[in-house]
Amino acid sequence: MTSVIAMRLPWREDRVTDGGRPEDILGNAPERQDDYFVVPKVVE
Amino acid sequence: MNELTRMTLAAAREGLRAKEFSARELARAHIDAIEAARGLNAFITETPERALEMAAESDRRLARGEARPLEGIPLAIKDLFCTAGIRTTAGSRILESFVPPYESTVSANLWRAGAVLLGKTNLDEFAMGSSNVTSFFGPAINPWTESGAEAPRVPGGSSGGSAAAVAAELCLGATGTDTGGSIRQPASLCGIVGMKPTYGRCSRFGIVAFASSLDQAGPLTRTVRDCALLLQQMAGYDPNDSTSADVALPDLEATLTGDVRGLKVGIPNEYRIEGSPPEIEALWRQGEAWLRAAGCELQPVSLAHSRYALPAYYIVNPAEASSNLARYDGMRYGLRVEGEDLIDTYAKTRAQGFGREVRRRVMIGTYVLSAGYYDAYYLKAQKVRTKILDEFKAAFERVDLLLTPSTPSAAFRIGDKMDDPVAMWLNDVFTVPANLAGLPGISVPAGLSADGLPLGLQLIGRPFDEATVLRAAAVLEEAAGIEARPPFLRRGAPQ
Repeated sequence: MTSVIAMRLPWREDRVTDGGRPEDILGNAPERQDDYFVVPKVVE
Repeated sequence: MNELTRMTLAAAREGLRAKEFSARELARAHIDAIEAARGLNAFITETPERALEMAAESDRRLARGEARPLEGIPLAIKDLFCTAGIRTTAGSRILESFVPPYESTVSANLWRAGAVLLGKTNLDEFAMGSSNVTSFFGPAINPWTESGAEAPRVPGGSSGGSAAAVAAELCLGATGTDTGGSIRQPASLCGIVGMKPTYGRCSRFGIVAFASSLDQAGPLTRTVRDCALLLQQMAGYDPNDSTSADVALPDLEATLTGDVRGLKVGIPNEYRIEGSPPEIEALWRQGEAWLRAAGCELQPVSLAHSRYALPAYYIVNPAEASSNLARYDGMRYGLRVEGEDLIDTYAKTRAQGFGREVRRRVMIGTYVLSAGYYDAYYLKAQKVRTKILDEFKAAFERVDLLLTPSTPSAAFRIGDKMDDPVAMWLNDVFTVPANLAGLPGISVPAGLSADGLPLGLQLIGRPFDEATVLRAAAVLEEAAGIEARPPFLRRGAPQ
């Protein structure tokens, strides 16, 4: 089963429709620095 | 608690337009009722200032004669719908302080229609439950109690806070979400109307995702007419949800003609389950009699695979839940519990951020999706789901609607069934099949148990035929003619 309702997945043009809102994206970050999320170190 | 909170949504709409009271007076009456009812724990976040601001705008529009469809109507929103700038928790510790920067499509539709936000209602954590007991913020409490006894009862779940708030007259209507019965089951247990529309009717954009192929938003109200009015504004095509259906919605209120003559209603025999109280069976027979008296033709139908619905559901549901909840890793939003390294941070964040039921479903979900077990569990469950869908399709070639009980029992005591997750899951036995098949279903208050607790009947319809479901539901509602109101409204919250 792919879908309970008989409908085709819609298509749209492959272009950016949203973005450029770093404050919205980072507003809930547990830790941030400038426009970046701060995460635990993952490289040795 | 007073005349302004006791009225229906439809009556409030007329009263506002006739200037019998203002939107601010209506909002204030509900804010006061919510404050007085904190013992029910129906709300996680109250938004009285926002409500009064929105009501003031409604009063300006009403004065100009520019009232929108739900102008000035105070509503409660399940705390699973993202509300811009207002904390949205999903009933979980992991989102305890999450403030969404955007608005869910369904709630945005309601504000665009002029509705007023009273607050965000309590729910089972991530909507996983049938009792509201799994909420990180503590259980919401049913305003109904057994006659002569005060022991608090569950409001059902997962939309338990919404159902309790509507039943206790703290709002004129509320939103819920229904993944396996989370609107219809609490509606039944709280003696109100609750509808899960067809999958795709309401956009899932901005609703915290649980099991994406099953989740669907819908209204909880005190009458069928109110349900139609609210759904009319919640629904609609949304390009932000790829599963949103671009199917026109008729004027639902206009379809409530009271005329159901000639409608064919099927009675699925397999929904008769052993060990269910005789009063559930009696209510079901009564529902048949009401519909027959109104001119419907009743006939038995067979949905033989129904017995596999719950097992299949409890594979598909945790599988999708575990995939969706993988996003809560403590990196970009939500709780982070620092560990020794990245893996330890993930583990600690999830161990402390998620409650028991959520952890249980994540574990089951990852197990049934794991290499080597995927075919045996997930793929098989999907095949069962196709069988169930095919059976419904065959049934709907012969009948227009199906009539079943909403729940296998009335509201149970808070604390019951807690040590047995399977007993808790069985609450959804009558509601789950409609989710697996994406069909619209409604629960209508139809009677009281011997203990004086509400019981509902469920109608299930064809895909995108909410109109027929609502039309027949209104006939059941009228025939049942329930006058009883929750004991809470006489003597306050049970202790």
